[in-house]
Amino acid sequence: MIHKAIRRIQRLKGWFGGGAALCIFAGLYLGLIDSPPDYYQGEVVRIMYVHVPLAHTALFAYTVLFGGSVWYLWKRDPIVDNMCHACAALSAIFTALALATGMIWGKPTWNTWWTWDARLTSFIVLLLILIGYLMLRTFIDDPEKEARYAAVLAILGFVDLPIIHFSVEWWRTLHQPQSFSIRGVSISSGLLVPLFCMSVGMSLLFSYMLMVRTQLLYLTHLLHAKKGRLLSQFHLSKADS
Amino acid sequence: MTTFYTKWGAMLVAMSILSILTYNHYQQDLATLSPQHILESPPAEEVRLLGMVRGGTLRGDLEAGDAQFDVVEEETSLPVKYHGPPPENLRELKTLVLIGTWNPTAKVFEARDIGLVTNYGFVMGAYLIGLLPLVLIVFSMSRKVSLLYTEIKESTVYQPE
Repeated sequence: MIHKAIRRIQRLKGWFGGGAALCIFAGLYLGLIDSPPDYYQGEVVRIMYVHVPLAHTALFAYTVLFGGSVWYLWKRDPIVDNMCHACAALSAIFTALALATGMIWGKPTWNTWWTWDARLTSFIVLLLILIGYLMLRTFIDDPEKEARYAAVLAILGFVDLPIIHFSVEWWRTLHQPQSFSIRGVSISSGLLVPLFCMSVGMSLLFSYMLMVRTQLLYLTHLLHAKKGRLLSQFHLSKADS
Repeated sequence: MTTFYTKWGAMLVAMSILSILTYNHYQQDLATLSPQHILESPPAEEVRLLGMVRGGTLRGDLEAGDAQFDVVEEETSLPVKYHGPPPENLRELKTLVLIGTWNPTAKVFEARDIGLVTNYGFVMGAYLIGLLPLVLIVFSMSRKVSLLYTEIKESTVYQPE
């Protein structure tokens, strides 16, 4: 079932890529040229249109990784494991970029590049979990064990996501509270439209990148198999034993 | 590969157009003058003056939109007379951008509007750091996929001896 779903979505890859480019270009035009500067922050508020979508996408990416890991432990499907591997690398990239752009925004608004604030700290913990995940996948030789341990680590790391989300409510932090919550939307429509465009664009871009990266890992395995490297390894291990 | 490079060429063109549009939009806001520059070569037209409000010099009726103060940048100080909308961000020791003209006879800068420091460097830095790596990663991944397809097609299946 999941194979069919992945194959069907893979066929729509071009639409995801095109949609992402369209939304991001529209968001950039609206955010950089059309939207007004903020009353208090001035022009620096425009960093929001790149930082917030990156952070949202990083969390979305980890949620996909979590879902994939649960599915893998349940069904032991190597295609889903391949997708999880691809997803972790992309999630780490989005998390690192969200942190970097946040630091750049922090300097003119908080007058510091970094502070051990609850939101920032929990976000860097997410990046460390993802780096740990990727390292784990490099160090273990047995592919089945590697996939299993990585899935367990991804599931354990998911604990950090609610902490990131609610950190601005649970603790007194320098980071601003949520703009979208059950209490309503605390952001003007002039700033909301480009933010929405960029967020949709980044999510589509992540989906597109995930498809390309999954395909890349799959094709690499396929090439190795075709060239007989997997077969050779099999013969060698057989000869050793 | 031709289709691949055509697509990326179109993307490059779109990015260039957007960069030019953005630059043109902010071009008038990019140039700010320092007090020293105004004193050395007094401008005849309206300019943007960047500097910090010197402590202990702010006076006037702020609610009525009238204020007098000194703007300082490094060693040079310049007297400013503000008349315009009630300023919300005007306070001592704050760095501001003042829009107005230099009065050479009264030797005072007559400001009609006050803006925040634009910090375009931070905005540009965030956009470049946030988006450029993603573009490069997508490009290299897509290119590698295309190359792998070709390699798989051309490679021969392993034949054990």
